[in-house]
Amino acid sequence: MEMYIDPHLHAVSRTTDDYEAMRKAGVVAIIEPAFWLGQPRTEVGSFKDYFSTLVGWERFRAKQFGIVHYCTIGLNSKEANNEALAEEVMELLPLYATKEGVVAIGEIGYDDQTAAEDKYYRLQLELAKEVELPVLIHTPHRDKKKGTTRSMDVSEEHGLPPHMVIVDHNNEETVKEVLDRGYWAAFTIYPHTKMGSNRMVEIVKKYGPERIIVDSAADWGISDPLAVPKTAALMRKHGIPEEHIRMTCYQNALTAYSQSGQMDESDWLNPEPIDQRLKHAGNSVLRGGQTPRVEGPSDYVEN
Amino acid sequence: MSAHNVTEQAKDYLIELLSHQAESDSMNWLKSQCKEINNSAKAMKLFLAFGKASKYFDKSTLRLNHAQAKEAEKIRKGFTPSAWDKLQTARTVLILSFPQQDEGLWFKTMNQLFETGDMQELKSLYAALPIYPFQDKLTDRAIEGLRTNMTLVFDAVALDNPYPSEYFDERAWNQMLLKAVFMQRPLFLIQNADQRSNENLASILIDFAHEKWAAGRNVMPELWRYVAPFLDDSRLKDIEKVLNSADMLEKQAALLACHQSSFPKAKAYLSKYPAIQKDIEAGIINWESIGKSFAETLIKN
Ligand SMILES: [Zn+2]
Repeated sequence: MEMYIDPHLHAVSRTTDDYEAMRKAGVVAIIEPAFWLGQPRTEVGSFKDYFSTLVGWERFRAKQFGIVHYCTIGLNSKEANNEALAEEVMELLPLYATKEGVVAIGEIGYDDQTAAEDKYYRLQLELAKEVELPVLIHTPHRDKKKGTTRSMDVSEEHGLPPHMVIVDHNNEETVKEVLDRGYWAAFTIYPHTKMGSNRMVEIVKKYGPERIIVDSAADWGISDPLAVPKTAALMRKHGIPEEHIRMTCYQNALTAYSQSGQMDESDWLNPEPIDQRLKHAGNSVLRGGQTPRVEGPSDYVEN
Repeated sequence: MSAHNVTEQAKDYLIELLSHQAESDSMNWLKSQCKEINNSAKAMKLFLAFGKASKYFDKSTLRLNHAQAKEAEKIRKGFTPSAWDKLQTARTVLILSFPQQDEGLWFKTMNQLFETGDMQELKSLYAALPIYPFQDKLTDRAIEGLRTNMTLVFDAVALDNPYPSEYFDERAWNQMLLKAVFMQRPLFLIQNADQRSNENLASILIDFAHEKWAAGRNVMPELWRYVAPFLDDSRLKDIEKVLNSADMLEKQAALLACHQSSFPKAKAYLSKYPAIQKDIEAGIINWESIGKSFAETLIKN
């Protein structure tokens, strides 16, 4: 069975049906970047609870369906524009950035490309350096090409090496420069707007699999949590070599984000037993070999 | 023994345990962090070290020999770190290093850790309840921990932990037991369970069993342990129902409950199952063996 990683998915807004379908389609791990909620938050406590959800409940929930959950922590560009609140969120970030399973600072960058966005983008680049984490950049939907260039320029101004930075939401117009400058180029397969599977196939044909990452960015909008496996299937249909599919839909994300020291293939290939207590009592649900399976029936709560 | 003493002793004990089972580089990091946390009393120092500990310690289970387990018990009655992993042990050492002279500061700092903790961190935080200072002021926190749906966190409070049996009132205790049954946790790891059994709990559990039966499901066999001291004519009908079930573990559990009951009619059932009776009397069948066997049925298939 093929294995996929969806390195950009906002699981808080998805149902368990999605988790089940993803697992069935071969998704073994997801990364949930901290983002906004479709409407701006007004209190720092909302951020705190959201970050706690990412590192706590969502991780647990994903595990129930055999999917390993990682996240990125950051103040998104939209909400950076509420400066008083942004200050308070910045104080919160170091607390979460160092937690287990936090694989990057992100998604950060520009939305309207305001001065406030610029300020907090830079501060978070510094934070990423301090905690030695990769950075996930959210490139703006409007004025994308310039915004993408600027994101990389500023990152370099702060001394971050391109291999530590994943630039997301690329399209045909931005991909060349991002790759040429040595960055990871992620593509969000999002119905209607960002990128469709067919266009993705063409990009992989043209640029090859090196440093290209496919993700769904599925969230509360019209989006598809199966975008990664579906795009892989389409690539297969179009005769793209299996190795290229593996790189763009699995390995590149793993290589990029495992630079955090917080993500490892063994997390899903040789999962820790879910139930330490049962292991302690002499039994283990640990299953070796290449069957990625994390859940144990003992962990289902009957309702 | 004062709480401060317990905290200090527990810290030294855990450092000693870890030092034989972790890399010396990791231990050096831990010790230097402890010193800084203790001297500076800055919450942020503790927060960062608490998070970063995962880079230095893995989640493999501690190995405790018999003498070490006994020593834990001597430091604090019921203190059972035998199921702890190395990472949580290191995190506990960090917490115990935070100054306790200023009670307000200690609670403020701890509350922040509890409020921002990830799953593994919460597990560490709750499992260490019995060796914290200010024991009598932690009850609400412990109860809060049981409200979670995360098994790991629930277990940290409920299992291998003397805190609930010592500090919970009957209502909170019964809620914990019922939820443990509901989540099918290994009840035999709940400390002082027999001492805290009560009539209300027995009746809540029987109601729960009836609900499950009505839905065509079984209940976990360990449940009958808490009904045993309160068997009467009506509850004996439920026992009879369990005895007539095909499941061997359930049968064992029902008979063990009869064995422990002082109700004469209950005792009478035992003689009808001489083989099981023999094993019960020999101590081969006990609540732990039943709990473990049941856990195995959960992880099979
Ligand atoms: Zn996103």
